[in-house]
Amino acid sequence: MLAARYQAFKSMMDEQGIIFSFSGYLSEGVLYSLGEALRHKMTLEETDVTTVKKVFSVFVEQSQNIIRYSADKVSGSAEQGVELSSGMVTIGREDGHFYIVCANSMRSEQVDRLRTRLETLRNMDKDEIKAYYREQLREAPEDSSRGGTIGLIEIARRASAPIEFDFQPIDSETEFFCLRVSI
Amino acid sequence: MENLLITAQERSPHVDFNFATGLLTIAGESYPDDASKVFGPIFEALDSYLAEVQPLPIRLEIELVYFNSSSAKALMNMFKRLDQAAIAGQKIDVYWRFAAEDETMREFGEDFSEDLSALAFHLVETDGK
Repeated sequence: MLAARYQAFKSMMDEQGIIFSFSGYLSEGVLYSLGEALRHKMTLEETDVTTVKKVFSVFVEQSQNIIRYSADKVSGSAEQGVELSSGMVTIGREDGHFYIVCANSMRSEQVDRLRTRLETLRNMDKDEIKAYYREQLREAPEDSSRGGTIGLIEIARRASAPIEFDFQPIDSETEFFCLRVSI
Repeated sequence: MENLLITAQERSPHVDFNFATGLLTIAGESYPDDASKVFGPIFEALDSYLAEVQPLPIRLEIELVYFNSSSAKALMNMFKRLDQAAIAGQKIDVYWRFAAEDETMREFGEDFSEDLSALAFHLVETDGK
């Protein structure tokens, strides 16, 4: 029973080409370890350097967005700078491409702003994204964003196809957010 | 003045600023959640160096293999600050080193060097490892 249940769970993920999937509380330490495992795996498979870098970069930006913006967060001041944020990161292969999906709950009041930013990026071509990146690199940081804008542009810049995203209400105050990027 | 020497950590680069020679080296990877942890001490050291009566020319050697977007923003701030000093007469050379096959790091070098007026920014291709 037990083995059958988890074998089914594992094969469901394998069928989707998932290399690994993490669901739970993410921290900077977890991000580092998952990132190392990811690079190791891709290097062993002789993935070219540029692809490894693109996948790793999108993985880092997406994970750091979860750490920063997840609505389900535990932070403690006792141990310096501990920040645990609930979310999900999945990396897989599909039709010869790598894909990275991140998901987390977020406060409903922040949804419109994020949706507008993502729609802007989805409608841009490669050259427009590059020009937008250079422009934002020179902008003074926004007070509340902790660097979120440039991070999203970095993600869009590494993508080989337009980014995909969606929102789903959880309750009156929170929504489930999900972003999928193909490299 | 004391030199700045920070050894590389899991998500932060090796930093070495020798005040006696004006050589500042930043190498490795930089992807802390908060980039000011890495760049705060560098900015402070540069400010005190530039406040010297007659600082030697600055040679900034950067050999980063990966950095996140908030580090990119901090790097841009550093170059803008150095460009201001260069406009005011300080000689500054930046050597941006990247592996020949690393298109990402080459492109970043081009992103940074655009619109700098007095700072000499050199893109240097290396053999990699």
